[in-house]
Amino acid sequence: MSARPHLIALATIVALGLLYAFGSKNAVALDLVFTLFLYATLGQSWNWISGYAGNISFGHAIFFGCGAYAAALCTNAGLSPWLAVPGGALVAAGLALVTGFPTLALRGHYFSIATIAVGALVDTYVRTQGWLGSANGFELPIKNGFAWLQFSNKGPYVALALALFALVQLATIALERSRLGYYLRALRANHAAAASVGIDERRSKLLAFAACATFAALAGVLYAQYTLFVDPPSTLALSISIDIALIGVVGGIGTLWGPLAGASVYVLLAKAVALRLGGSGRGYDLVIYGAIICLIAAWRPHGIVGSIIDALRRRRGALEAA
Amino acid sequence: METLTTFAQLVAGGLLTGLVFALVALGLTLVYGVMDVVNFAHGEFLMLAMYAALGLGLLGIDLFAGLPLVAAALFLFGIVVYRVFVRRLLAGPPEATVFGTFGLLVLLQGTAQALFSSDYFSAPNRPLQGTVHLGPIALEQSALAEGFGALVLTGLVYAFVEYTESGRAMRAVAEDRIAATLMGINVQRINALAFGIGSACVGAAGALLMLSYPVYPTVGAQFALTAFVVVALGGFGSIEGALIAALLVGLLEVLGGFYLSPELKMVPVYLAYLAVVLLRPQGLLGRR
Repeated sequence: MSARPHLIALATIVALGLLYAFGSKNAVALDLVFTLFLYATLGQSWNWISGYAGNISFGHAIFFGCGAYAAALCTNAGLSPWLAVPGGALVAAGLALVTGFPTLALRGHYFSIATIAVGALVDTYVRTQGWLGSANGFELPIKNGFAWLQFSNKGPYVALALALFALVQLATIALERSRLGYYLRALRANHAAAASVGIDERRSKLLAFAACATFAALAGVLYAQYTLFVDPPSTLALSISIDIALIGVVGGIGTLWGPLAGASVYVLLAKAVALRLGGSGRGYDLVIYGAIICLIAAWRPHGIVGSIIDALRRRRGALEAA
Repeated sequence: METLTTFAQLVAGGLLTGLVFALVALGLTLVYGVMDVVNFAHGEFLMLAMYAALGLGLLGIDLFAGLPLVAAALFLFGIVVYRVFVRRLLAGPPEATVFGTFGLLVLLQGTAQALFSSDYFSAPNRPLQGTVHLGPIALEQSALAEGFGALVLTGLVYAFVEYTESGRAMRAVAEDRIAATLMGINVQRINALAFGIGSACVGAAGALLMLSYPVYPTVGAQFALTAFVVVALGGFGSIEGALIAALLVGLLEVLGGFYLSPELKMVPVYLAYLAVVLLRPQGLLGRR
């Protein structure tokens, strides 16, 4: 399929998003839009390794954390957080290579549980390190301006989140049409058959893992500059990794637009729950997410976008047969 | 001498903890062995059992009388969950069981939080709060009861799987589902039974744990993570392996918590998991 409809859709989303970012004064709505595109970026990053490559990770937050902590360290040291963009990305890619090299060859739940273990080890490590803020985390000093990636209103943040989402989405469109993309899908479908035609599993998956860790780290930098607070529960914890995975699953794993669909559901639900039921501390949001995931896993295992694609294919098939 | 006594004390404590891990892991490995499903919500089943035991306690039913009731309730719950939900997951793509049981984890945790808040609750009038002295070693009566209770129950489940007709059918399904079907075994019934027994294991474990632990919505997570490690270490699907691995993990956790620091107690456990799946993926006693 040609990339054109996807590029047009992406351009439309970016244009509308930018109009809204600079046209709206509604801080609550802008916060939602920011969160939407940040999570969509994280979901797409997860989708590379778990959707296209088929290694379901429950530890993706550690890469997000790399970026967030890099930004916090830079800003606190009086350096521009722009330095954290290559810095955090490098650390995340390095971490992906070091942890991926032994674990990416594991299959099914062996890999998933290994990612939980690695995530917990990273989380525990950070909690014991004074220079990383221990368990308390960091507050970031308030600065202002593009050089500090801090702005007095939310518009520029939304624009940056949109830009990041567009970047990751373009990379994914390219991935779907690249040799690497075909390798990953072949490995996911049947690793033995893929290996028998000469696809190097470890090399392909490591490349994808390092690339998607970089995207997650960029999201982490933006997140830290937006909230000006970074600690293990908000960036590294298992619950963050689970949220990222849920967005990917609800939208439809291994699909281009799944993460955006999943993030939309996630953000809308979070908002609706907070408004209707008063705060998320009571667990109602978890009840609804959990129920949705159960329903999708049991009745629509290909997610929202995956089910739409299936339906379109069936229709096309029926038309061609007629 | 002092250090030796401390060490002996820790080993005893670690082994008793390990016996409880064994019972929890037994449920997980049984389900995995029979239907190749890793139930990510296993810890949440344990959490439900602990709330159930707490509820019975508040009604004046003590923990030992409550144990069979909770185990029976979880058995039924497991069968319903299998019939309504897990059976559908098995018909889907392979990742559906991972997501589906993970969704169940989120749903059950959220439900507990919505119903009971995030507060910690302990059972009222807990029996066995004293200590027993074995020479220089002092052991909590509750830990002894938990360890030996878990050992007896593990033995019962093992005997069921080894020596009964249904247990034999379960092992047949675990070995070769298609051949078992051809021999006239109703695989759906056996799967449901295995899921029920796996849930009953955490049902009993949950009632036992209320002797010394408080219950809160995320209490299952630490036990479930440990159980994953135990099951991988022992070899997915192996009952004997799970028992040995559980004792090892119990020791690692208690010794790690003492000699490193309490917040690092899980570190050796996770490292052990990674070492095992990377170096000996079939586990200590696993097949394949």
